Amino acid sequence: MILPLWSGIMSALKTQADLAQTLPFAPPTTLVFDGFIASYNELIGPLFNSILFTSIATILSCLLGSICGFVVAKLKFRGSNTVFLLLTIGIFLPYQSIIIPLFITIRNLGIYDSLWVMVLVHTIYGIPMTTLLFRSYYESIPESLFKAAKVDGAGIMTIYQRIILPLSPLPFVVAGVFQFTSIWNDYLFALTLTNINFEPASFALSNIAGSTETAWNNVMAGSFLYSLPVIIIFVLLGKYLMQGLMAGAVKG
Amino acid sequence: MTNIRISNLVKKYGESNAVNNVDIDIKNSELFILLGPSGCGKTTTLLCIAGLIKPEEGEIWFDEQIVTSAEKNYYERPQDRNVAMVFQDYAIYPHMTVFKNIAFPLEIKNMDKKEIEKLVHSTAKSLGIEELLDRKPKQLSGGQRQRVALARAIVREPNAFLMDEPLSNLDAKLRIFARAELKKLHRRLGITTIYVTHDQIEAMSLGDRIAILNKGEIEQIDKPQTIFDLPKNLFVAGFIGSPPMNLIDGSVKEENGTVYFTTKKINYKVPSEFSIVKELKGKEIVLGIRPEDIKLSKNESDNSIKATIEIIELTGREFEVHLKVEEERIIALIRNIENFKINDVVNLIFDEEKLHFFNKETGENTYYESRK
Ligand SMILES: Nc1ncnc2c1ncn2[C@@H]1O[C@H](COP(=O)(O)OP(=O)(O)OP(=O)(O)O)[C@@H](O)[C@H]1O
Ligand SMILES: [Mg+2]
Repeated sequence: MILPLWSGIMSALKTQADLAQTLPFAPPTTLVFDGFIASYNELIGPLFNSILFTSIATILSCLLGSICGFVVAKLKFRGSNTVFLLLTIGIFLPYQSIIIPLFITIRNLGIYDSLWVMVLVHTIYGIPMTTLLFRSYYESIPESLFKAAKVDGAGIMTIYQRIILPLSPLPFVVAGVFQFTSIWNDYLFALTLTNINFEPASFALSNIAGSTETAWNNVMAGSFLYSLPVIIIFVLLGKYLMQGLMAGAVKG
Repeated sequence: MTNIRISNLVKKYGESNAVNNVDIDIKNSELFILLGPSGCGKTTTLLCIAGLIKPEEGEIWFDEQIVTSAEKNYYERPQDRNVAMVFQDYAIYPHMTVFKNIAFPLEIKNMDKKEIEKLVHSTAKSLGIEELLDRKPKQLSGGQRQRVALARAIVREPNAFLMDEPLSNLDAKLRIFARAELKKLHRRLGITTIYVTHDQIEAMSLGDRIAILNKGEIEQIDKPQTIFDLPKNLFVAGFIGSPPMNLIDGSVKEENGTVYFTTKKINYKVPSEFSIVKELKGKEIVLGIRPEDIKLSKNESDNSIKATIEIIELTGREFEVHLKVEEERIIALIRNIENFKINDVVNLIFDEEKLHFFNKETGENTYYESRK
């Protein structure tokens, strides 16, 4: 775990010549930031794009997942089992299998290579997972809490806003971190649904590596920049993430 | 102030009926008790009244308005019924402070902030939880939570209160106090209250009327005193009272115009006011007598029964004397045991006015209808 990360950072701080002569994990003989500067210039635009659509899609898919999870868990309606089954299928459906029809659809919708296509695709693709996650959390909330709220005069919307949402910070963190990382790391959608106009960071990073001669210091610096947001998220929310993953039932 | 009528209510869970053919007519402003052993359908009945579950059969009326009708597939939504409920597991909102919990139903009604503040404080005060208003439910004991749940219900002025064992988690002393508070509150507000408990003493001291439930069916609906003095059937006789009524299996025999209740060992002359039991000749009958209606004597008398003392237990102010008549076990409650000790043979004298005779087959008290 640590070694590749260490070698990566070391390589990023070396000159081209230094790279060729020293071992990957040895410290640089002369400390330079060329790699960071070069990759920063190339990645800053795409990074900004990625942060934008990843954040929006994460928030949207969590919010919608929370609503759907509530509906599936607590409002037993006819066909709710079917919905549940479809959601499960949705999770296990590999997205490679739908990428071509998706591409054509997106083309026809006229949103190819834009912020909105990434937001749309990732939100929709995230909903099954977030729904299941929220559902299992909501199932653990005692039934009598909903009953009490109904008797107290609350309708479904009020119950969601005033009881469900305030009880949900932990599943929001779990689903949020999960969604953020998987959307951030996505390459396939980025590759097929965007181009130079709205370039996501994962795609841009592979371009640095893919030029005629590979400047490893640039690539390593780029990789580091690329993983920075995810690292920040984990540092900030790690504590809550652990709590959320271990959370038991809500006690009345 | 609402009259609540329940007719022919049936709620099924799978194959079994949690509530079966329940008919209750709860009067305006009445404090009505549902009493019965665990699993007899008390909570289920309340949930049907609140509209939180849908029964398979039956109707529920609030005054002249129908709120539940399985036949017409009509169910008024719980939030529109304006009933307040105390749940068996409290159901306090875990993320809100005590204040917010109590204020919740008022906030939903968009009541004025100042008004809410006033009502919440006065309600909390009457239940002795005023100092807890800023706490979260996690920081409360079971009894305190229960009082928060109670406060959240009584802070409103609903059509009816539905209370599911609201005092079960308070300690004995606080429970007696809270019981009295509830009774006062009920007198003051005059709001129809349906109160579930499995504590007989609570039921007896609190209720205007009591319905005894057993396996989803109603066994008897009467005033507390009637339930105690004139149990409608064997179930109620055996359920009410602590220790419960002595029930002795036997049969009826007529000799020279005198009616006897007989078992292998006992030959008890049936008092003349109970003489219709002779119509049950040839059938199995059960004689019922409460422990407190039995006297012990050293001397044999006209209609006494010989028994051996097995155990003597002190229960508070009285002594519980366990007696044996052949294989029959009988318990008597007496004040003074100076003259008796274990293994003594004594004579039992039943209070003739307090006898009960049940038809064993149907379980019915033969005198219920005529004496009521
Ligand atoms: N959601 C449910 N699903 C299946 N069976 C249920 C459900 N709720 C209640 N029951 C069954 O219905 C019967 C009546 O339950 P209910 O909760 O009304 O009993 P109760 O009189 O309130 O008992 P207690 O004094 O223990 O609270 C029980 O046999 C119970 O197992
Ligand atoms: Mg119950």
